[in-house]
Formats: sequence, structure tokens, C-alpha cells
Amino acid sequence: MQFDDKVPIYYQIENYLYHQIVAGTLQPGAKLPAVRQLAVDLTVNVNTVQRALTEMIRQEILESRRGRGNFVTQDTARITALKHRLITDYIQELYTQLHALRMDDAEIVAAVQHYLQTRGNQA
Amino acid sequence: MSQYALELTDVRYRKNQRTILDHVNLQIAPGKTVGLLGENGAGKTTLMRLIASVAKGARGTIAVNQQTRDVQRRALVSFSEGLQGFRSTQKLREIRDFYVRTYPDFSAKKYLDLVTFLQIDDDQRLATLSKGTREKFIIALTLARQAAVYLLDEPFSGIDSMSRRRIISSIIQWKQPEAVLIISDHYVTEIAALLDEVVILKDRTICTHKRSDQIRQEFNLGIEAFYESVYEGSIPDDEL
Repeated sequence: MQFDDKVPIYYQIENYLYHQIVAGTLQPGAKLPAVRQLAVDLTVNVNTVQRALTEMIRQEILESRRGRGNFVTQDTARITALKHRLITDYIQELYTQLHALRMDDAEIVAAVQHYLQTRGNQA
Repeated sequence: MSQYALELTDVRYRKNQRTILDHVNLQIAPGKTVGLLGENGAGKTTLMRLIASVAKGARGTIAVNQQTRDVQRRALVSFSEGLQGFRSTQKLREIRDFYVRTYPDFSAKKYLDLVTFLQIDDDQRLATLSKGTREKFIIALTLARQAAVYLLDEPFSGIDSMSRRRIISSIIQWKQPEAVLIISDHYVTEIAALLDEVVILKDRTICTHKRSDQIRQEFNLGIEAFYESVYEGSIPDDEL
């Protein structure tokens, strides 16, 4: 995985794992690799991985079971809420960019619809 | 009692009537991986030699796990400075044997795991090693000890990217959680994601010491860019 060196690494690891969970690559109840293994896979230090996981445990997306490791929550409502959070983040980003181009809400909706239609034609 | 694994207080060092290091203060908590950055000649190697008690005669105090005396510190710090003192005709196995005899905390098991992982044939003679293999061998010797502080002096200079990746992986896998690891370099992009903290040496002293995340959040800069800005003087001193 390539990291953006301007953004805290733990934050990028968190996001990377959130994506895997929402996309279903990591299923509800799935066991995560050991912290050290994740650190090796991502080429980051163990403390950084631990910090990302601690935050995910605090948000109850992960569950830590003593002596057994970290697991994705089985609570699908939490995963759905996470998905909505990611969706909102992306739309917020898009909206901010388009708004900066002085587009109003109606124009933005029209632009998105136009994009979806023409993209459908190209595909 | 100090909570730091490594603590330098007003360290000054002169050699041949020249000041090499001046007013160096540094505190590192257990478990941290720290990048020691600075141009060639900034004093990175000297600082490591002082911490490891290879160089002596500094003013001020250097404490490793609260131990300030040379003998005790040498037992707590793992530093294999460029394999100095070994003959080029010696086989790597013989150097390993020397480490086994010299350091009670040297783990033959850990050494074997490391040379296997780093793909080093230790039946070779020192003189026949490529630059990359030499660096890998130094890593294996250094990390095979169960030390409180590990010092790696520019382990990535002049070696290919495959070896570099292996070295980085071996560091992540074999550093004990409580141990401090200090890696010096003047080019940081490839190890930036490894570093908890960054220490920059400039003009014979430590001009800044920050957490990596602090650099990213407060300055909105990558580690390499921050390092360059510090050297160019484009960040005001009161912000460092």
C-alpha cells in the first residue's frame, strides 16, 4: 500500500480497513491478521497499526478478544452506519469542489445525473 | 525515575579541538522508532557512537534505562558500527561467534531467523560481501541482541530496493515492542512510514524533535519535505 506522507499514517490505515469492511473484503466477524503481520504487510511500524486498531475498537467497528485477536464487528447495523459515513465523506468532498466552482445545488445534481447517463453510454 | 529509555542531557563533545556536538538534549520513550536525520557531517554517527559508548569523553549525561556508566550502557545498546575491527578475511560465522562470546544477550536463534530471512550466506568472508549484503549482515547482528536501544547508521545507503524492502520488513518483524530503534539517514521517503518520531541534527545540535504525526498535522508536510524545510530555514525557529 502507498501512503500519502502528508497525512497521518494511522488515519490512512484506518480508512484502508474501513473500505475493506464496507466492501466486504473483510466480512462481519472476520479475524484480522496479527498486528505485527499487518505492520509487515503495510510496511509501517507496529505502534502505528496499533493506534489505528485502537481507534477502530473505540468506534466499535472492531472487537478485541483477549488473547485471540481483533475481529470485525458482527453488528451489521454498525457496518451500515460506517458505509453511510464513507458515502457522506465522498459526497461532501465532491460537493465542496463543485461548490467552489460556483455551482448551485440544482446544477450539481444535474451534472451528476448527466455524468451517470453519459458514463452509461460509454460503458 | 525517568520514564525514558534514552535520555541525553546537555551533551557536548569535542574532538581535535573542534566542537562536534553542542547542547544536545534528547528524550526517547520506550518502544519508539526514531529517524535521526541530518546532512553528512552533521554528527549523526558521532551521536550514535556516544550513545553506544564507542566514543568517550563527552560532557553532560547519557542515560539508557537510567544507566549512565559506559559498561552498563554498552550492555543495553546494540550498535554494529560498520563492522569495524574485523578482518576482511574473517568469515561471517566467525564474526557471529565473536558476538555470541561478547554479548550475553545475543540470540543465536534470532540471528538464524534473520540471516535466513535476509538471505545471507554466513559462510562467506567479509571481503567478498556486496554493499547490500554487508548492510543486511549488520542488521542481523544488531537485531539479534536483546537490547534496550538499537542503533542503525544509514542502513539503506547504496543498496538496491529489494534489499531495502527486506531490511525494512526485518526491522518491523524483529524489533521488540519495548525497544527503542534509532535509524539515521539523510534520505527518508522510504522509511517515513516506519518512524514514530523524527530528530533533526543541524549546526552541531538537535534543532527539532517531533512526532511524525505532529509533522503531518501541524505543518501539513511529509517527513522528507519537513526535513528539507528545516535545512533551508524556511520554518521559523519558534515553530520548531
